Amino acid sequence: MKTQSRAGSRLIIGLMFLFLYAPILLLIVFSFNAGDSSAVWKGFSLDWYAKLFQNRIIMESVYTTLLVSLLATAIATTAGTFAAIGLYSLGRKKREALLTVNNIPMVNADIVTGVSLCLFFVAFFQGWGSFARWFNSVQSAVELPDRLVLGFGTLLLAHVAFNIPYVILNVAPKLRQMDRNLMDAAQDLGCTWMRGFWKVMLPEIKPGIVSGALIAFTMSIDDFIISYFTAGSASSTLAMAIYGMTKKRVTPEINAVSTLLFLSVLVLLVASNVKEIRQEARDRRGIVRQPTALDQLRLKLAEPRFRWVRRGTAAVLACAFVAAVVFLSHATGSRPVVNVCSWGEYIDEALIEQFEERTGIRVNYQTAESNEALYSLLKSGGADYDVVVPSDYMIGRLIEEDMLEKLDYSQIPNFSEIDSRFQNLSYDPANEYTVPYAWGTLGIIYNTAMVDGEITSWSALYDEKYAGSVLLINNSRDAIGEALLYLGYSVNTTDEEEIREAYDLIADANRRGVFQGRVMDEVFQKMEGGNAAIATYYAGDYISMLENNEDLAFVIPEEGSNWFVDAMCMLKGAPHQKEAHMWMNFIASTDANLANMDYIGYASPNREALERYPAYYAERYGEELDPGLYEIMAAPAEVLERCESYGNLPAATLNLYKNLWTQLGVR
Amino acid sequence: MSKELIRLADCVMTFDDEVVLDKINLSIRDKEFLTLLGPSGCGKTTTLRIIGGFQTPTSGDVLFDGVRINAVPPHKRTINTVFQKYALFPHLNVYENIAFGLRVPKTDARGNKVKLSEEEIDRRVMEMLEVVNLKGFERRRTTQLSGGQQQRVAIARALVNQPKVLLLDEPLGALDLKLRKDMQNELKRIQKAMEITFVYVTHDQEEALAMSDTVVVMDSGRIQQIGSPEDIYNEPENAFVADFIGESNIIDGVMRADGVVEIFNRRFQCLDGGFEKDEAVDVVIRPEDVDIVPEDQGQLRGTVTSVTFKGMQYDIIVDFYGFKWLIQTTDLSPVGSRIGIKIDPDGIHVMKKSEYSGLFGDYSSYSEEYEEISDASFEEESGDEE
Repeated sequence: MKTQSRAGSRLIIGLMFLFLYAPILLLIVFSFNAGDSSAVWKGFSLDWYAKLFQNRIIMESVYTTLLVSLLATAIATTAGTFAAIGLYSLGRKKREALLTVNNIPMVNADIVTGVSLCLFFVAFFQGWGSFARWFNSVQSAVELPDRLVLGFGTLLLAHVAFNIPYVILNVAPKLRQMDRNLMDAAQDLGCTWMRGFWKVMLPEIKPGIVSGALIAFTMSIDDFIISYFTAGSASSTLAMAIYGMTKKRVTPEINAVSTLLFLSVLVLLVASNVKEIRQEARDRRGIVRQPTALDQLRLKLAEPRFRWVRRGTAAVLACAFVAAVVFLSHATGSRPVVNVCSWGEYIDEALIEQFEERTGIRVNYQTAESNEALYSLLKSGGADYDVVVPSDYMIGRLIEEDMLEKLDYSQIPNFSEIDSRFQNLSYDPANEYTVPYAWGTLGIIYNTAMVDGEITSWSALYDEKYAGSVLLINNSRDAIGEALLYLGYSVNTTDEEEIREAYDLIADANRRGVFQGRVMDEVFQKMEGGNAAIATYYAGDYISMLENNEDLAFVIPEEGSNWFVDAMCMLKGAPHQKEAHMWMNFIASTDANLANMDYIGYASPNREALERYPAYYAERYGEELDPGLYEIMAAPAEVLERCESYGNLPAATLNLYKNLWTQLGVR
Repeated sequence: MSKELIRLADCVMTFDDEVVLDKINLSIRDKEFLTLLGPSGCGKTTTLRIIGGFQTPTSGDVLFDGVRINAVPPHKRTINTVFQKYALFPHLNVYENIAFGLRVPKTDARGNKVKLSEEEIDRRVMEMLEVVNLKGFERRRTTQLSGGQQQRVAIARALVNQPKVLLLDEPLGALDLKLRKDMQNELKRIQKAMEITFVYVTHDQEEALAMSDTVVVMDSGRIQQIGSPEDIYNEPENAFVADFIGESNIIDGVMRADGVVEIFNRRFQCLDGGFEKDEAVDVVIRPEDVDIVPEDQGQLRGTVTSVTFKGMQYDIIVDFYGFKWLIQTTDLSPVGSRIGIKIDPDGIHVMKKSEYSGLFGDYSSYSEEYEEISDASFEEESGDEE
């Protein structure tokens, strides 16, 4: 019995650890995958690590994350430690009350903290703006900036704010354990309070401070939600960069950076634990540690005659730290800048460097994860972008709400290269606001090995024959749009009857168990790994899936489909309008369009680039581009004729979409 | 008699409207061993902390060598303290604990910061280790030492700074009885050798009597009596002091004339005088000053109600007219027997009536109460907490 139960508990513990560590192990394994799939193993390679260090968005976000975490940890640890000491000089009742207050932010939902900080900052900026304008109007000696925006400063403040309670929580128990007479004793022996703090209190509470700092640091690195609401447009942390990629797909570089992050935390943890265990063993055995060479050096340096060496070193280190901070936060100082917000993995990053080299303008490239998220970010007033790249229907909405600035096309000569098919589209009929960036189509992706014959109609999505192996796209506009097309209606219909009919079609298929689930990004894994037979997604992404699974096919159904255009626009009141025009002109060029089309797999709106792409491909890769693939990337005119782009729907229809989508209870 | 070193003048201390010290006046002479004695919460530790500079009196003055030092912080006073539970620095070894005060830079007369040389520090630390008998323990961690050894480190750490005054806050409270006796002698020896003033706080009256030149008995934030141990024991000011110091039978009496006091309607010869005629007084009779005689020869007669064997003597409780006395005797008188007693004139001490009259000195509930008092558990004074 006994051995049995022991074996049982071992099994449970084993399973528990497997459950905890298997996902991380998988992540580490796939960081060495030669392919870009997270489902198919293509052999060992260090490519993703090499690419990681060239991926500008990720690297910049890693810098931001480290910088903000280190600074926030340093500030919060100092402030939190002194706050805890202050708490302990108060009476017991006041102390208990304040410690309870201190605990609330920690249990508070991050989203509440994030939103409230964002509101606070925006409100403060407004107040500051009025003050600064008044102040500048009454005197001219000092010019105060009157337009403050969310950015690195607010991000740092937010991190400091949410880290302080963790530091207090860790330092407080050490203070409670400490003999209250110790500080009296130090002062009794001639120390001022401050010297007593350094010589006696600090060594006593150091373990608490260190663990508080470690927790603060990890919380900072970890944080997404609060950062998301307070970072504004100019900076983004690693977590935000990863989230921004979800509109397209999470690249395996993320596996690499996560692996590095995990390993460094692991090393830190192991090192500190080993040190502690050794110290404990020494204490237990009463062994006095023999001074090592390092200790002897330390003792030597502690002698008064080396005072200048110590002070010099401290000064040099401090200067180096300040310099590093200044360098990292103002990497390019007063250079002109343009703030761009696009989607993750939606640009060939070499273009950014080319532009910077050519013009000397720094590109602050940020990403959002969806049109809707971008919209709410812009609405919140915290963003400070110059150029955004929303999709057609969202552009319509932004124009309608007067959030875009008219462009000066004389500054964008390359606009003439844009194919006339992509000019004067319905969302911007007079073409006053936009420069098209990329376009593509929505279609059915299916696994030929799992499906009989060819699929040509949207009906396959609702067919019981494929029960359990169809992936419904997790986006109400696309999912209901497909059903509308199948039923022969317009994707832009505002007729409630028609929309309800389309919804009923989906709901009915859902009841019959046709859908495996509602997915966005997961579609890559599921389709590449052969875990689902049929899905709907964008043509450009099909190309990258095909690289990992040759059985996949793409079709634009005979009923027609959606075709979309993403276009660059400039936000109302953008602070860097000249630079924004230069950027748009550069991106609209044929060369830039070719590079982007190759990198992201979406079709270019540049006439020449679109034509020249197969030649470009052949030259670059030394093999011919499969004409079938080219037709999928850039749907030919006769296919496009069948397709319809999304218009901006009235609020009532959007609401109907939202309500219906919520009703649909797919797993 | 040596000159005055410290004076507390009308010191009042209140915490949240609670009066902890009520107009304390105290003079401490150079090189004397002065003990503040009293039960928990009497204000003795607060008094010590005021002298040390850890607390500033709400009103009143603290004078050191005639200079007012109310606002002088602890690190600028030439006073050092041995704290309750020692307050040794756990992260430092024995040597570094003792050297701690020496490593703090001092400001000389011209305002320059001066540091002692390592050689000087080493010499003085080693010297102190010798004084407290801890040679060879330099590199030990303080957490590896016994209570008595930690105590010695605490003393050495304070004394190495050559203070004019050493404050000791219940320094022996955490030690067991045997060790406490040894340390009492040790402290006395050190004080004599170093020739400095000790201000010692304790709630243990035996300790106070054994070590001190001057004992200050405190209760409820007030000084009840200041005097030599003999004075305090033989001539207590009031019922509180009489009861707190040693064992006492305290009986209501009436002073009929100088040298004549009436107890239980019987007149006794005594040595006290200076009272009004027929003034009501408290009469203290120490248990060891009572002689047991055959019943018919006694000045008073009573019945033995309880006998406890104490080794050197028996503690017997005798009922005299409903009032129970404690008598210490070497002769056994069995429970229930009738005895007589005689008291010599120098065994009787007459005190003025005070607020404490009637609260102490009756042994009716002897067994429990007696044990409880002599065992009074060590508690921090309420004033220190906040």
